[in-house]
Amino acid sequence: MIMDLTATRYRDLILDSKGGFGTPNPQPYGGSYIPEVLLPGLQEIAAAFDHFKYDAGFLADFSDTLRTFSGRPTAFTPLPRLTEAIGGAQIFLKNEGLNHTGAHKITHCIGQILLAQRLGKQRIIAETGAGQHGYATAAVCARFGLDCTVYMGKKDYERQRPNVYWMELLGTKVVAVEEGSQTLNDAVIAAFKDWVANPDSYYLLGSAVGPHPYPAMNTFFQKIVGEEIRQQCEETTGRLPDYCVACVGGGSNAMGMFFDFLDEETVQLIGVEAGGRGTKPGEHAAKVKRGKKGIFEGYHSYFLQDEDGNIAATHSVSAGLDYCGVSPILAFLADEGRVQFETASDEAALAAVKKLAQLEGIIPALESAHAFAYAFELAAELPKDKIVVVNASGRGEKDLFITMRHFQEDSLIAYAQHLLQK
Amino acid sequence: MAHLVLGYPSLAESLHTAEAYINAGVEILEVQIPFSHPTADGPVITLACQEAVAQGISMQDCIEAIRALRARFPMQEIMVMSYVNRIYAYGFQRFVTEMKAEGVQHLIVPDLPVDLSSALGSADATVKFVPVLAANTSDARLEKLLNMGFDFFYLMSDFKITGSGFSLHPRLQAIVAKIKSRPMPPRIGIGFGISTPAQARLVLEEADVAIIGSALIQAQKAGKLEEYLESLQDVFQA
Repeated sequence: MIMDLTATRYRDLILDSKGGFGTPNPQPYGGSYIPEVLLPGLQEIAAAFDHFKYDAGFLADFSDTLRTFSGRPTAFTPLPRLTEAIGGAQIFLKNEGLNHTGAHKITHCIGQILLAQRLGKQRIIAETGAGQHGYATAAVCARFGLDCTVYMGKKDYERQRPNVYWMELLGTKVVAVEEGSQTLNDAVIAAFKDWVANPDSYYLLGSAVGPHPYPAMNTFFQKIVGEEIRQQCEETTGRLPDYCVACVGGGSNAMGMFFDFLDEETVQLIGVEAGGRGTKPGEHAAKVKRGKKGIFEGYHSYFLQDEDGNIAATHSVSAGLDYCGVSPILAFLADEGRVQFETASDEAALAAVKKLAQLEGIIPALESAHAFAYAFELAAELPKDKIVVVNASGRGEKDLFITMRHFQEDSLIAYAQHLLQK
Repeated sequence: MAHLVLGYPSLAESLHTAEAYINAGVEILEVQIPFSHPTADGPVITLACQEAVAQGISMQDCIEAIRALRARFPMQEIMVMSYVNRIYAYGFQRFVTEMKAEGVQHLIVPDLPVDLSSALGSADATVKFVPVLAANTSDARLEKLLNMGFDFFYLMSDFKITGSGFSLHPRLQAIVAKIKSRPMPPRIGIGFGISTPAQARLVLEEADVAIIGSALIQAQKAGKLEEYLESLQDVFQA
């Protein structure tokens, strides 16, 4: 197929897509593969999104809330000591971890809650993996006075306990899902089932995945990340980045970072998936690198699955990347060769947390650490005049008990014993 | 219509269950291809699916099981239910061709909007997809589906997942009336949450077919399948 190379080709294609991306056989990626009962709810949200994405009042409200509630714009930070230590390209960081609730997730939560509010919704349903999306959803629901129920796989519930506590403190009901592998896709399914039983609720889906309009809608809200990087990088360095690197679980932070650069041919876009602890099924969460095409949870994309189309178990040290599917927009951009995909292992991500903490005073979320792990390798191979920007999609405080177990297990046990004695 | 999950608790036992249903007099046998993550099913069917998947039941195993049933019961109406990804992995056209060869005329794919079934390469006039609708289906949408020639409509009794208590949504009557007002009306089945003979009879006042799933699996689990099928005898005769 010959592509029409106009200046805003990919961006227009994605935002005006009506939910279908590219031309793989037999249908485009994305779509809306959902039980009929969910169709009216999704159509209502899609129509509202189509209307409000061009509504000046809505957009002003969105950007105002981002500024006053979440603290945008987030910092664009040079990393001179790290750059020197690695000895290659100049490395910069977009600090999305400075957002309220600690990650980029709050941005699409604000966008969607403003939409839910305009639709007159009273109750919000959400799923969460690492807990960042759930925490952000809980915060916007409290802020806007809406009831909130968050579904979380039991494994994630246990390993991300601090976020469970924050959600509950914010007045959200958190349900630990005991089915399946007890991670993100089980939470997504539980949230869908709640929506089937309660079709008047608003399902605030938390990544660039799921049925239309979520992939395009969350990309639309998140694209401010790339827009800020464009401006900040030009102000700081006088030009655009050569490489943008983001971790990929479902793909919301990656799409947020990449979107504004999709039609800039000089900017290379790299998504880093969770390499986990090996390449066998169940040891990683690398969908684009090691999955195959499928239709699940409402959309057509790459999924980790077995020969028979049963969804495979996934593993990552980071709960936010421990998911079986990937944004249909990223599947399309991967096939096009526009976004390059790499992996980083659990070990490499943990090492990256320590390196960034000790050389630059910034503790990234384990999810984002995957992007850093790959970016360090990349930068080392590049000449000094190249610019690599890494999206620090979240901050690492939520991973306290995971990283502490890895780096200082004795102190963690001592602290737990101390708490028990009280 | 009586539902079972192929491969639960084992392939051989699910075939025995099918025989028990048919011998008890069910009009339609609904055979579910097990899937690891049945997004629209309640806990009973989800667990049955996961146990079947854990045994490594392949699509080929399922097709052979359907073939065996067909050989034994040449006249039995069989509908096959599957989540879309298992069919996608196997190949839509190939799957539909196999189903046609086994005399299966209806496919229930809850996570595939029926409008997309032909676009996925599964167009075949003799194997029809079954729209699964709820009380929130708009008049315009219903009209569109009626005009597309589907000849069996599966209505969800209420807003719920399978096996989670019984109620009939008040708007279902209007949907049923609209479907029945057609000159050659499609058949209507109502399911989700039906467990007692009284509930099935109530459903049959509206619909042509009452669909029972989770309650059968629970009866089987409790070792009371025969008793339960016996209690439904007058429903089967109706």
